[in-house]
Amino acid sequence: MSGQRLQLWLLLFGAGLAVALGHAIPVCFEGRLPQARGEDVVSLILGDARLELSRALGEKAEEYFHGGVRNVNCTIHSDAGGHGHEEHGAEARGEKAGDAQDGHHHGEEARAPGNVPAGDVWQWIDGQVHVQAHRELEGMQMVEVLPWFWAACRLSAKNTQAYESSAYVLAYELGKPEEGVRLLEDGIRKDPAKPELDFFLGEIYFSKLRDMRRAEACFVSAREKCLVVQRDAARAEELLRLRLRAVFYLGYFAKQRGDLDRVRLYLNEAESLAPQHNTVRDLRVLLENSGTKNQ
Amino acid sequence: MSPRVCQIKALARLSVLELYRRKDLIVVFVLCAVILLPLMVFTPFGVSGASRYVNEMALLLVWLFSLVIGLGVSARLFPPEFESRTIYPMLSKPVARGTILVGKYAGALAASVSALAVFYVAYGLLAGVRQGVWFPAVLVQAFVLHIGFLAVVTALGLLGSLVLTPSANLTMMGLTVTGMLFFGQRLPALAAAQAWPGRTVLTLLHWFGPHVEFFDLRQRVVHEWPSIGWEVCLAVLVYAAGYAAVCLMLAAFAFRNKRF
Repeated sequence: MSGQRLQLWLLLFGAGLAVALGHAIPVCFEGRLPQARGEDVVSLILGDARLELSRALGEKAEEYFHGGVRNVNCTIHSDAGGHGHEEHGAEARGEKAGDAQDGHHHGEEARAPGNVPAGDVWQWIDGQVHVQAHRELEGMQMVEVLPWFWAACRLSAKNTQAYESSAYVLAYELGKPEEGVRLLEDGIRKDPAKPELDFFLGEIYFSKLRDMRRAEACFVSAREKCLVVQRDAARAEELLRLRLRAVFYLGYFAKQRGDLDRVRLYLNEAESLAPQHNTVRDLRVLLENSGTKNQ
Repeated sequence: MSPRVCQIKALARLSVLELYRRKDLIVVFVLCAVILLPLMVFTPFGVSGASRYVNEMALLLVWLFSLVIGLGVSARLFPPEFESRTIYPMLSKPVARGTILVGKYAGALAASVSALAVFYVAYGLLAGVRQGVWFPAVLVQAFVLHIGFLAVVTALGLLGSLVLTPSANLTMMGLTVTGMLFFGQRLPALAAAQAWPGRTVLTLLHWFGPHVEFFDLRQRVVHEWPSIGWEVCLAVLVYAAGYAAVCLMLAAFAFRNKRF
């Protein structure tokens, strides 16, 4: 009996010692511990599969955007999101966002229900039971995609598309730009190398919050990150486009300040990158509207 | 009431009682509540108002558990009788083997449908409270077609229980049903993309496999699409009845030739 009691006390002492050391060591050796901070449980369990799962959740959100219909060749960004971006660009150029709604194709068939091989009754039934039409969520209905985007963002910080789409829905569709800003800042903190989030954050500051100082800082950051990661051959074209758009916004801000030399610098940069791109034309228009000829 | 109908009723009643005696339904209900309650109070990015994801998860659980109950009940109809040899006193009574089979099947189906009705009532109340729409037509159709699904699944489970071991039956039928739910819709396209042997196998599967995806109206219910035409609903139910009848005929053949 006394042996059992001794064992119990030893066990309790050992457990207490382990807990005390666990608390004392980080305090005593703060800043001198060699090990890096550990990752969370999800990353330990899933590893690199996180990004793939996150993308799958993003696709689920796209499916929700289309009323549960899969494999539709458009995304929140290409349809609704695309409007937002183009409108903002047009706004900065001083143009009216003309036929932004043309991108919608409500009522269009994702797969024509009548388009089944003759005599295949099973496919006919399937076409009648499962919806084939193309529909998109609008306005406050967009809240339905948020749970999936939330899960996609939580699962992998590298899923830039999920962060952008979530921020777009929050800022432009649900009128909560502060939430969008918070999310993008969180994304930038977790994956600082990607310029897309900085750019999109700049757009929200510019068009929704009208905070030009922060917007410019974001576009500067996006441009600099594009310069850093420009060797990424797989994303070269995408990064080029992003950099051109950031350069346009920076030129626009420079013009607002009356700094035409800076606008010319941005114009030269854009011309060196893609002489035929719309950004070059738009920057020229900015310069011409200021009454100064391009040199 | 004819004696055969009375016999079928008595056998069916036993199967229903068996399900409720085992308290499977209570376990399933508690599990659903544990999964769904946190989802209901979840507000992604601090924004409330999203409901479709809860509906989708709820219906997914309904489908999952109805499959588990349907297959579980039907796969357990005969093997325990064979193992404990209680099949002998049953066969010694003036009851035809076909009657036993139909009675057992009716019981499995009734038990599964009764559990399904509880699920759908709970879902309807949940959706009604959250969205203010009480039992729309598309939900009624989803329930009716889900009964068709259970008719096919229990018939498959019953057939499997007579020709396979219990574990093999559950595995085979589980894989077949989930495989068809996921890929049944795409079988013609998949077949077209294959070379000779694969194409033939997939084409045969398309024509003769159990198209359980016909009974799946979750997309319409969750995303608030209009209901389907009742003639389509009827066509799907005829398909279910036909498929279940073929399975039962094969099961009757296997039962008649079974050596104990």
